[in-house]
Amino acid sequence: MKGKRLLMVVGVLFLALTVAALPFMGACAPEPTPTPTPTPTPEPTPIPPAAQPLKYGMSICVTGVAAEKGSPMARGKLDAIEYINRELGGVNGHPIQAVWYDNGYDAAKAATIVKKLMDDGALFFTTNSSKMMSVSMEIANRAGFPGIASFSSPVCTNPPKHIYAQMPDYGDDWAAFAGYYMENIWKGTGKPKMAMHLLNNPTGYGSLDAATCLADELGIEIVATEEHTPTTISEMESMTRIKAANPDVLFISSTPAPTAVVIKNAYELGMYPGIVIGCAHASYTKALVDIAGAGIVEGVYGVFPTVNWGDDVPGMAKMEEYCKKLSLRYHGNMDYITSWAEALIGAEILRLALENCGYDVLAKGDATAWECVEKNGIQKLDYDVLGLHGPAKYTPGDNRLDKSVRVFVVKDGVITPVSDWIEAVRIPYENYPDKFPWAVAK
Amino acid sequence: MGLPCGTKNYTYAEDMAIMRTKTHWALLIALLVLLFTAPLYWGNYWLGVANLIGITAIAAIGLSILLGYCGQLSIGHAGFIAVGAYTAAILTNVLELPFLVGLICAGFMAGFIGLIFGIPSLRVKGFYLAIATIAAQFIIIWVINHMEITGGFIGIAVPYASIGGFVFDSEASQFYLIMVIVVMCTFFAKNLMRTRVGRAFVAIRDNDLAAEVMGINLFFYKLLAFFIGCFFAGIAGSLLAHWIGFMNTEQFSLMESILYIGMIIIGGLGTTLGPILGVIFIRLLQQGMMFVAPTIEAAIPALPAGFATGIAPMLFGLIIVLFLVLEPRGLAHRWILFKAAYRLWPFSY
Repeated sequence: MKGKRLLMVVGVLFLALTVAALPFMGACAPEPTPTPTPTPTPEPTPIPPAAQPLKYGMSICVTGVAAEKGSPMARGKLDAIEYINRELGGVNGHPIQAVWYDNGYDAAKAATIVKKLMDDGALFFTTNSSKMMSVSMEIANRAGFPGIASFSSPVCTNPPKHIYAQMPDYGDDWAAFAGYYMENIWKGTGKPKMAMHLLNNPTGYGSLDAATCLADELGIEIVATEEHTPTTISEMESMTRIKAANPDVLFISSTPAPTAVVIKNAYELGMYPGIVIGCAHASYTKALVDIAGAGIVEGVYGVFPTVNWGDDVPGMAKMEEYCKKLSLRYHGNMDYITSWAEALIGAEILRLALENCGYDVLAKGDATAWECVEKNGIQKLDYDVLGLHGPAKYTPGDNRLDKSVRVFVVKDGVITPVSDWIEAVRIPYENYPDKFPWAVAK
Repeated sequence: MGLPCGTKNYTYAEDMAIMRTKTHWALLIALLVLLFTAPLYWGNYWLGVANLIGITAIAAIGLSILLGYCGQLSIGHAGFIAVGAYTAAILTNVLELPFLVGLICAGFMAGFIGLIFGIPSLRVKGFYLAIATIAAQFIIIWVINHMEITGGFIGIAVPYASIGGFVFDSEASQFYLIMVIVVMCTFFAKNLMRTRVGRAFVAIRDNDLAAEVMGINLFFYKLLAFFIGCFFAGIAGSLLAHWIGFMNTEQFSLMESILYIGMIIIGGLGTTLGPILGVIFIRLLQQGMMFVAPTIEAAIPALPAGFATGIAPMLFGLIIVLFLVLEPRGLAHRWILFKAAYRLWPFSY
């Protein structure tokens, strides 16, 4: 009996130690290139020791099924805040304090985190996914607590309330790509026939909503719409149906892995090359090229709202420096750029709010402070984001801060820009109340 | 049931009473007073956590009736909660009907859908029934995603709950609304098990063949268990919809359904207290996990990027595994042991 108990205790201890050791083993995994380059330590701008912080709220999924996006985004924001506090002296002498919680891509946690951030006195909050924002947004709207979603679907900003989108949404991707296709690629007569392959969530159907509104206006005929799951391993059946519709162009709005499956199946069915393929920004990253293989995705178009790593823009050098120094494993990840840019926008919002209302108002961290941040920070924003993506500027009635995307193509295995910034015009979803009841203000 | 020394029952009613001593009554009143004065000393965050626990507890009590008492395994509970949430959302937002109408209809609609998916329970049980109920999860979510009135993949907004002009627009008022319903549901579940229906459920769970031989109509009682379990899920869905204010189907994943099974197992199957304790344990553990990565990163900045993010899910899994190893009969059993030890203290032998 005693031996059995001892065995159980040893077993439990062994299990505990094994599990506890797993993260260390993961951390021992080889880091991706490039190797860190020693950079001269900048002369920090001192923040007065008694300076009071400005609280920047974040609800991020660093665990759960979307952690591959959430982890680099968390690091991007935290590294950017480190840079702002260390080298820029914070915001007008006040350090930014990141107040962040891991939502695990879980709706129940996200709903309580937004309340926690309000209780903590955060001045606004950010989420990195449309799903997490859709859970948090009504709680925040009801309280007047401003929020910014890095990746968003149209429902987050329509009708406009207290939630803002850092970048254009998945519907805007479709509109931008369709416009580019009609102007630069389509050489035939009549209406080009477009098929759509969509992830079975707002990422996919956000694009379809835009197509429903704008396809006729742009002169495009939607001939087939298919959907897939995030874990799909074959879309031969749906792609065979799409092939039967004989499309000129295929638009995919999804994440990298399923997009790779769709493109591979198009390749195997002999559809591609032969038709044009365009992708929305959620899938159009280096991961797509890696998963599908450079040979297969060669010539595939895509839309993305930020610059590439290594592009010659004012904000690139510092971002690269900090990424190599603090989060090397995320170097080359586009999501890191997105969230670094978001932190710069956040700092600019806080600077405007601070100058217009003063620290005493912001220090309250309550509804008065939130109103100030929204009216005098977000809604007065006009910032170039150091070139990392299109300018962030508030336009009344349109809660998307950055409205620009660029079209890229895979050329020799590298995602290469083929257009300048294209302004994604706001899509009037509210004009179709039968189809989009969520867009109508009640 | 263990009772303090000297407690005597002279009538059948006394013997069957839930509250049998003055201490029971005092503790119950103290608990209710503590619960209903919570908004005085809790901030919005903790009230929000309590509201989430309350809503989850209602759904878990329903699942406990279905699985813990009647032995019918359902892995589609989040789907039934979604039915309730969307029914309430459509009735109160699109049709602009009162909250109470939406609440009751949400329960009945989820119960009705539960009846449909409960029909296979007459022919299949155990793992086979689990597979049949997983189908419910996927079919329900697919249907909701492809209907225009539900807002499809995008979702649908839901107004605040209101009764007779009083709008539950603060966390504290929502807390009272939810807790009153939790108390009512707990009272119902506790008493259900003391009725003919409850005894029939237990008989079916223990041996359905023997139950049928004794004259229990298996088809009727199994479907009734599905109806009651899913009715509770519908009520929870309605409250969730009004509390969060916006619904889309991503909030009702298969993972959530599995978590509900975990909650009632950790709490203790076949008890009324079990699901409540299980819900409190899992929801608080989840809340704790959201602090883990930020705390570790802040405390040890030198850790490699991504290290802290690996800790939280492993810790979550480890705690559940350790719990099941050390207390396989659930928290409710631990509570019974505690009460027994307390009554004998300080003379444990």
